Amino acid sequence: MATVITPRGQRQVQRLERIWIERKGLLGWITTTDHKRIGIMYFFTSLILFGAGGAEALTIRTQLFGPNNHVVSPETYDQLFTMHGVTMIFLFVIPMTTGAFGNYLVPLMIGARDMAFPRMNAVSYWLFLGSAVFIYMGLASGHAPNAGWFDYVPLASKAYDPGNNIDFYGYGLIFNGIASTATSINIIVTIFKLRAPGMSFNRMPLFCFAFLAVSFSLLFALPSLSVACLFLELDRQLGFHFYDAAHGGDPLLWQNLFWIFGHPEVYIIILPAFGIATAIIPTFSHRKMVFFPLVALAELLVAFLGFGVWVHHMFVVGYATITTVYFAAASMIIVIPSAIQLFAWITTILTGKPQFKTPLLWIIGFIVYFMIGGLSGVTVAAIPFDQQVEDSYYIVAHFHFVIFGAAVFPILGGMYFWFPKVTGRMYHEGLGKLSFWLTFVGTFVVFFPMHILGILGMPRRVYTYPPGMGWTFINQSETVGAFLLAAGLLLIVGNLTWSYFRGAEAGNDPWEGDTLEWSTTSPPPPYNYPVIPTVTSPYAMWDKSDRELDSRRLERGEGVLQQGHETVASTVQDAEWDEIVSMPPHSLWPFLVGLAAPGGFAMLLLHHYWIAAGFLVLAGLLLIGWHHREVAA
Amino acid sequence: MEAGAGTPPRSMTARAAAGAARVERRRRSAPNGIWGMALFLCSEATIFGTLMATYFYLDFDAHRWPPAGIERPTIAWPSIATGWLVLSMIPIWLASRSARRGARRLTLGSIWVACAMQCLYLAAQILLFRHDLLHFSPKGSAYGSIYFTMLAADHAHVALGIALDAALLLFITLRGLANYWLIGVRGLAIYWYAVTVITVLVLCTQLSPSF
Amino acid sequence: MAPALRDRPRRRPLRGIAVAIALGVVLGGCGRQSIVSPRSPQTHDIRTLWWWMLGVGGIVFLGAIVMLTMAYLRRDVRGLPFIGDREPIAQGLVVMFGIAIPLVVLVALFGVSDVYLIDSTSPPDPRTTAMTVEVIGHQWWWEVHYRGTGAVTANEIHIPVETRVNVVATSADVIHSFWVPQLARKIDEVPGRQNRVLLYADRPGSYRGQCAEFCGAQHAHMALYVIAQPMAQFRAWLAAMSAPARNPSGGAAAIGRRLFEADQCASCHQIRGVTAPVTVGPDLTHLATRSSLAAATIPNRPSYLERWIANPQSIKPGDRMPDLGLPRWQISDIVAYLDSLR
Repeated sequence: MATVITPRGQRQVQRLERIWIERKGLLGWITTTDHKRIGIMYFFTSLILFGAGGAEALTIRTQLFGPNNHVVSPETYDQLFTMHGVTMIFLFVIPMTTGAFGNYLVPLMIGARDMAFPRMNAVSYWLFLGSAVFIYMGLASGHAPNAGWFDYVPLASKAYDPGNNIDFYGYGLIFNGIASTATSINIIVTIFKLRAPGMSFNRMPLFCFAFLAVSFSLLFALPSLSVACLFLELDRQLGFHFYDAAHGGDPLLWQNLFWIFGHPEVYIIILPAFGIATAIIPTFSHRKMVFFPLVALAELLVAFLGFGVWVHHMFVVGYATITTVYFAAASMIIVIPSAIQLFAWITTILTGKPQFKTPLLWIIGFIVYFMIGGLSGVTVAAIPFDQQVEDSYYIVAHFHFVIFGAAVFPILGGMYFWFPKVTGRMYHEGLGKLSFWLTFVGTFVVFFPMHILGILGMPRRVYTYPPGMGWTFINQSETVGAFLLAAGLLLIVGNLTWSYFRGAEAGNDPWEGDTLEWSTTSPPPPYNYPVIPTVTSPYAMWDKSDRELDSRRLERGEGVLQQGHETVASTVQDAEWDEIVSMPPHSLWPFLVGLAAPGGFAMLLLHHYWIAAGFLVLAGLLLIGWHHREVAA
Repeated sequence: MEAGAGTPPRSMTARAAAGAARVERRRRSAPNGIWGMALFLCSEATIFGTLMATYFYLDFDAHRWPPAGIERPTIAWPSIATGWLVLSMIPIWLASRSARRGARRLTLGSIWVACAMQCLYLAAQILLFRHDLLHFSPKGSAYGSIYFTMLAADHAHVALGIALDAALLLFITLRGLANYWLIGVRGLAIYWYAVTVITVLVLCTQLSPSF
Repeated sequence: MAPALRDRPRRRPLRGIAVAIALGVVLGGCGRQSIVSPRSPQTHDIRTLWWWMLGVGGIVFLGAIVMLTMAYLRRDVRGLPFIGDREPIAQGLVVMFGIAIPLVVLVALFGVSDVYLIDSTSPPDPRTTAMTVEVIGHQWWWEVHYRGTGAVTANEIHIPVETRVNVVATSADVIHSFWVPQLARKIDEVPGRQNRVLLYADRPGSYRGQCAEFCGAQHAHMALYVIAQPMAQFRAWLAAMSAPARNPSGGAAAIGRRLFEADQCASCHQIRGVTAPVTVGPDLTHLATRSSLAAATIPNRPSYLERWIANPQSIKPGDRMPDLGLPRWQISDIVAYLDSLR
């Protein structure tokens, strides 16, 4: 039930509408600091990159259709599979979850009017876009990174990869990491400080817990990657010896630094999916989440424990048995918080009265594929077995089930779920269900047989394979599955595009949702809420009395905050109203910083180090300039 | 049009030092900007943690550390310089305290003193850095690579801190000690505390073969 | 193991048998590199572990599917059958399926695989092995030395059956991974490290392996064969490998040898007793005894060898061996020479 606006309340709203005018046109988008607009920009950008990664995948599958195929050369193939991994992980999943879903929904769910640092939010987007363009310049110039998404040295060192392919990777990921770090700081401070009065931590939606966990993970994991890439570029450009065994360095140093980032990264990929699932399940099951506090704790635990398991990616490098056994034990422990969440979700659906509409179907698909991916993950915590299947197609199967089946399905479900809220229109339910089934079947057909391929001994990252190994038919069916999967995804795009223009009007709350965003209009006004809500339970929208109270407060002008672009800052733990903070309305500075940064990185790539330093100074000056407009912080 | 005397303050409206100090006193929770700075520092601290871990990882792997031909680092001058940086935390602390009390002149003065001390520190460190470069190179060994990279990263953060000092001096001089700049000074202070702690740890790492 | 120097019987039949085995297995289909076709106790144990894990995993998965199916069939009824929707019971289910049961299963799995089984996949104690073979990874071929002998070969390892062999794996350039799934778990070849793995075959045969760590453009074509033979045959083979190259009797082969020395061939490939030591490309001293060429990419037959020398880039694009642009008649003489190197 949405907040009812009476005629007296309407006068308050009119004043808000005059203050929160959105600039029109291209300039409006370039100077925006509105978390919803930024979320939409992230959404479309990462969707386009998803398409690019998908095209790379389809080319790979076409090349692997038959043995000794000549669709692409080995050099091109190596660039394709590397770019597929880099794109999907750094340029699609992270920006789509934290940048699009996180930015758009977190302020709405906590009853705030924007993120804590709106201009930094904008700069995160421009830096992300810049990093994507930067990395794809590599592909466009025929010098895309080509040593795999985890880019092991010495293969990625200057001696074995002399062109600038790897430099697009090294600089590009540092660049991308700055954007993600800024986003995670923003999400954490927003969740800590901008929650609606009364929304103590135990009354915060589980979606926000997941995004809090993701943001902390990103914050502590990215430095390891950045340092690894810094060392790589220092070795490559200036002849340093971090990874060079002949001069006291160690190639395994790269692997350790990379996986200290890389393992938390995979939890970073999946945690938002958990968050989306925990938003959709209670709504469609018409039941509160079973054992909410344990689920919240489990979400945080997964992120935390994820930092202690990285050597399980290195079980075959030759470390001592005791080392590998410790990390296998840690890897098994992490199964527990995941299992807790899994069974909490299943039990909630089982004990509720589920409506199997499209969003819930995607979550069911997610649960099924998360089980498959999770179980194959458990099998590789058995070290002897991992030492057989490591670097084979079994691992490719495992991670595609958890990344695609388990992280992307909720994204697709979330797109359907929040489509009415963002656009104000309903999607076509029949096409929605069809797109789910097509994608679900396609996913199974392309990825499940990979388990078998791995068992049959097919290594990964091979541009071709010989006949007579028993691999041919399986590869062929996988390629068919890939195109089926692509068809499903295209159908989603088609459905949502058509529905955007022709869909039925959705209204504020088509699903009887439990979180605050369903109380405001679809799409939400620039100021999100006419009155800052007060909250007394984790299921804010299911507390009718609270929402009626909001209406009356609106009439009285209490909590409307109309003296500028204002929102509430609260205390961290109990969300008691502490001060009123002011949001910067529009700003060109973030866009300008977003232009300076790729310039700097391009200069580094071209070995013009002094000019690159100049760009750094320019970026610094721009950051100073942007602060000249004071807002309450 | 807010009802009730208990309405929390609009921090933006505090443009003068006295008003800003009042807002600061009323706050129960650290302002957003302080949280942002604290989280940024978590990220930077992790970077240095990674650098130091790399140092010890390479040390652990090596037969001789530093490798043959490179002398163990001298303890005296780097320690004195670091001690000087630690001392500069006194004016930094003073700046933060004065800002919170709305004392604009004292705040400015403290930042000037701190900035001068930090510039002196950085100059000394650059001289030591160049001196080291004359004796061994980052291109000669993994030891050199991590030694110079770790120190350069630390000095870069000190340089950034000096730039932050300068920016705050500029804005407080021109705009006064508004709420925004008060939070800036608080942020500056925790930045410097963190960088100083990191510098001390980097020093210990750098000098570890000589202990 | 000191090789016995004695008159060697003609090698051609042996090489022919090896090629036949290789071709037969190539055409034979499934199971060649399969984890579930074990030929050693270690890989046998891993296979057993796999079937158990698949079974238990399958049961867990089916259980979840049953619960989801129930959720669908009972979608209009709140709560569980007979119990209804009581939060404490639902919480109990979560604790049971989410904590208790997984904990038990995981502890069991950990004990079996990471405490017990792991002993057999750990590097073998050198005192328990009969011989040591060094396998050095290159882009994109395998250099093989039999420690304590002069035997050097490439891309094909022979071992005696039912004998514990200590493989020392390292790399001359980037990281590779030595993997012969039917015989042993894989072990990475990291430059600067000497990793070790146990190689053991419980019956004679030709076992295919492949590099399992992406190592550049021709990673897909870096395979090898491990051939397990009865001890006597192995000893004979080893003795042959230790010896320097045969002198060609005359004719095309003799011309070929002179061409080999004069052209660029010797700058990358060594033929012991004929050219200077070099390890840019594989040792060719006894090339004719091998079942395959170019790291198990093509069979070792004269027609293939000719194609390889004429145009290696057409078979392994990006490989280190360039197209030399040699005239046809030179190539066939060189092939005649190499074919004589038994």
